[in-house]
Amino acid sequence: MRIHVYAALKQHFEPEFELKEPVHNTDELKACLQEKNAEAAELLNSCRFAVEEGFIDNAFKLKDNDTVIIIPPSSGG
Amino acid sequence: MIRSSSYRPAAEDNFPSVSAAALDIADLLKEAHHPGAGAVVLFSGEVRDNNRGREVAWLEYEAHAPLASKTIAAILKAATEKWQLKIAIARHRTGKVAVGETAVVVITASAHRSEAYAANRYIIDRIKHEAPIWKCEYFTDGAHEWGNNCHCQTVTGDPAKHIYEV
Repeated sequence: MRIHVYAALKQHFEPEFELKEPVHNTDELKACLQEKNAEAAELLNSCRFAVEEGFIDNAFKLKDNDTVIIIPPSSGG
Repeated sequence: MIRSSSYRPAAEDNFPSVSAAALDIADLLKEAHHPGAGAVVLFSGEVRDNNRGREVAWLEYEAHAPLASKTIAAILKAATEKWQLKIAIARHRTGKVAVGETAVVVITASAHRSEAYAANRYIIDRIKHEAPIWKCEYFTDGAHEWGNNCHCQTVTGDPAKHIYEV
């Protein structure tokens, strides 16, 4: 699974990376990343998730070939 | 230029709603006149030279442009339906934006001013909370820091649920 992170999350992860661990939904993805990097745990709890088609929630079934976009709290404007 | 469309979906726009191009608010305003609109409101969000007591040198905006454009288009559509807007335009800069420059513009045109004001506030509030756009503040002391404007999750418990002032 390909992961893209933005803004403050880039302080904790590469902007793009491959996740080898099998994760099936956003809760599992979040837990996996929190285990990899405990310092990002709080920020990950406040993030939204998306695939290219749009935002997703935990009901969305992630597949190994998905690209997941992890979106920290917005700070535009 | 007079536009007869009830709103301008970003996806159908020649100019993407999120781009690194400088924003010319006078040019955008020229596109916001409509024979059915007696009120046009323009909001320009501009880079301030200070934040929380620190001197700001410039801002750098990052965005997931496709998702941000899609989000902004949905917000414009919702506002247009809610207030029967004649025109709704929103643009957001990415990249480096200097102090005094425009980072975001929202223009609303409606029959009467109350709708144009209310819709404009609604659009900018939702863009700030929902569009995947982030500012990094660069300070004159050499430090830089990612902005963290939307704290709604700490209250709602859900990063996708927001609290709006209007």
